[in-house]
Amino acid sequence: MASDGAVRESVALNPASVARGGFGLLLAAALIAFPLAASGYHLALGISVLSYAVLATAWALFSGPTRYISLATAAFFGIGAYTVAVLGERLPWPAVLAVAAVIGFVVALVVGLSTLRLAGIYFVIFSFGLAELVRQVVTWYEANVHHSVGRYVFVEVTQDMIYWQLLALAALVFLAGWLVARSRLGLALRVIGEDESAAEHCGIDTTRAKLAVFALSAVFMALTGAIMAPRWTYIDPVISFNAVTSFQTLIMALFGGAGRLYGPLLGVVPLVFLFEVLGANFPNTFSIFLGIVFMLIVYALPQGVVGLAARGLPRFRTTGAGARLAERLGGFIKEPAKRQASAGTGAELLAARGLSKAFGGLVAVNALDLSIRKGEIVGLIGPNGSGKTTALNLISGALRPDAGEIRFRGQPISGRKPHRIAQAGVARTFQLVRVLGSMSCAENVVAGLAFRSPRVWNGAAGREARSLLRRVGLEDKADAPAAQLTYVEQKRLELARALALRPEVLLLDEWLAGLNPSELNEGIALVRSLRDEGLSIVLVEHVMDAIRSLCDRCIAMNAGRKIGDGPPAAVLADREVVRAYLGDADA
Amino acid sequence: MLAGLILGGMYALIAMGLTLQYGVARIMNLSYGEFLVAAAFVAHWLFTAFAVSPLLGLLVAAPAAFALNWAIYQVLLMPLVRRAKNRDTLEVDSILATFGLLFVVQGVSLVIFGGQYHSYSYLSIPLDILGSTVALNRLIALLFAAVFGLALYLALTRTRAGTALRAVAVDPVAAGLVAIDVRRASAFAFALGGALVAAGGVLISVFLTFNASMGVVFTMKALIVVILGGVGNMLGALVAGLVLGLVETTVARMVDPGLTLAANYALFLIVLLWRPTGLFGSPSR
Repeated sequence: MASDGAVRESVALNPASVARGGFGLLLAAALIAFPLAASGYHLALGISVLSYAVLATAWALFSGPTRYISLATAAFFGIGAYTVAVLGERLPWPAVLAVAAVIGFVVALVVGLSTLRLAGIYFVIFSFGLAELVRQVVTWYEANVHHSVGRYVFVEVTQDMIYWQLLALAALVFLAGWLVARSRLGLALRVIGEDESAAEHCGIDTTRAKLAVFALSAVFMALTGAIMAPRWTYIDPVISFNAVTSFQTLIMALFGGAGRLYGPLLGVVPLVFLFEVLGANFPNTFSIFLGIVFMLIVYALPQGVVGLAARGLPRFRTTGAGARLAERLGGFIKEPAKRQASAGTGAELLAARGLSKAFGGLVAVNALDLSIRKGEIVGLIGPNGSGKTTALNLISGALRPDAGEIRFRGQPISGRKPHRIAQAGVARTFQLVRVLGSMSCAENVVAGLAFRSPRVWNGAAGREARSLLRRVGLEDKADAPAAQLTYVEQKRLELARALALRPEVLLLDEWLAGLNPSELNEGIALVRSLRDEGLSIVLVEHVMDAIRSLCDRCIAMNAGRKIGDGPPAAVLADREVVRAYLGDADA
Repeated sequence: MLAGLILGGMYALIAMGLTLQYGVARIMNLSYGEFLVAAAFVAHWLFTAFAVSPLLGLLVAAPAAFALNWAIYQVLLMPLVRRAKNRDTLEVDSILATFGLLFVVQGVSLVIFGGQYHSYSYLSIPLDILGSTVALNRLIALLFAAVFGLALYLALTRTRAGTALRAVAVDPVAAGLVAIDVRRASAFAFALGGALVAAGGVLISVFLTFNASMGVVFTMKALIVVILGGVGNMLGALVAGLVLGLVETTVARMVDPGLTLAANYALFLIVLLWRPTGLFGSPSR
């Protein structure tokens, strides 16, 4: 709460926020002075509240936006505590804290590097066992190297000092959370939480983003463990790596609501008191109560207290307001620079040679060659299952080719991660639209702007997002959540997000499918205007009218092979192409 | 070697139950191992209080666990299934709910049976097989595990109900389109998984010392086996279970018995980094 108040104070512009800032300062003063007045019991409660406030906020820092559930809090907390047990007497206190933070950071990096690249469920399972795993390793080390399991903690730290250290740490974790939420990293995490695959195609290095915040949250957890360690006089691995720590942290963060920075705090305060009462009165059946409370929260309050309070309010109002403010201050809106029109005659931009991909026994793409020149629209056609979408997935990096090479502007890009390909200048839309449902349309487009190179961020991003939305006819929906758009509007939004990457090659996967005749005409005109600005476009499409009227060239596929390449009229009249679509009788 | 195979066989049986719950019912059940420990306690209680053989105890524990897990699915998990927008949200919700359930079941076990280790002696007659000495009770446990595993495999591949379960595992939406009652199939799979883990618990209780807080370890091992074998893949679970049992026994003997979980996790990571969908998982498109 203290830092929250301090933060508000720093952005105060009007009397109301000055008053709020003053209140925040008073509260901060009261929190700091608390140990001077409190009895031992109340001080212990205060320490408990603060330590869980740090743990739960640090937990939500990573798990809130990404929706990766981490059950590893006890592992990092225990690492911090055990570091103190081992080094407490040998090093000065600040050095001990630093070592605890570094160990927590390194373990988080190692765990994150090996599991965060994998699907979310593997991460949950691994984090579930991490505390037990670290406990086993520490126990083994103590038994075999140190020859005694368990240590006495001889650190001269008073309860007051523990309280103040935790208070400072709490202020730091709130500051870190506040900074992350306003940074590109925070946006990246939210996009990852919405749709990891879309995030990669926005140019977000998802592994790095997740790893950075996971390690940051681990540092705070390890520091909490280290600061709390002197409260025990004796520490062994079973005490320090106690699964209940993970559990209580999770439950408090969820009860408060992990979607907001201050959410976990709202859960920590009541639950620490509740658990205190339960623990005192029902020491033997405590874990049953814990479990029941937890299940009640999962069933009754899936969004936490914050979700209950914020129901009906737009979720990320600060970003929207900031963008609007920036737009007002910005004066005029600069249109993106027009590219030179050079239809169909440019140099080769994208080339694939011998591209192959098999799923088990099914060869989806078989020795495909293709070449896209600057400023041309190439149609990729073929019956269902002929490998068109797989070919797009290979180009965009969603899949790795088994064989063959893809070059973009002469540079090999095959096998690169999707975010690198997106940043290089190849953007795409998806056959099944992937908009970021709970984020506003403007934020969807900003996700495309913020991670390209050169990146666009803050006010400039808000302005450019609006101009791109205007381009696709969604300017009045800028602040609406993307999930509320119609299917056609979502397709347009996805196009705006792809354009935000300022690509040179645009891959459209059945972008015109499902449109009514007038929407189709608008869509065709839009695609053509993009080409006229110099964009190269690959169009996977079944709408033959669109292919005929738009494409400079057409590539036909069947069963993974290229069976035709040339002007649309010629390819569509080709006997083999007709046979692929309609069967032998009509050929 | 034989000890590793026996342990691995038990892991495979336990993991088969979890793969039913996770693969078919899409419930990532973190309280899974608690039911194993609870069943072990029931067998222990029947044996010490009434001198009922654990093999007869199976006849009590497995049907009881089936009924209990059916009820858990209908009462506790159905609201989550209804509320889930897609597979991912159900996965997250079920992880959280069963994490809570874990503490409830563990707490109840602690209250009833206390925190100390339990074991009893049943058919611990040493036998000499292939040069190594094995207790008869372990062999019987392995035999029963093999019978259950084979019966389950045949039921899944040869019967109508089994085919329905496999269809739901592959694609719940498409299964619904061909007139399979997906929720009933899921509840059935969840309950059957519960019965299997209870059977595993009874069998393990005849040769292993156990206490009320050991469930989590079994859950973790079962999860590792399921993922390694490929979710929903029975034969994969069998192979992965055996491999895990062998690795664990080897590490316990060669390095340190305290590092078995570390060895499990190392194996888990190595396999996943090499094949992200598990040893026998089908590559996703």
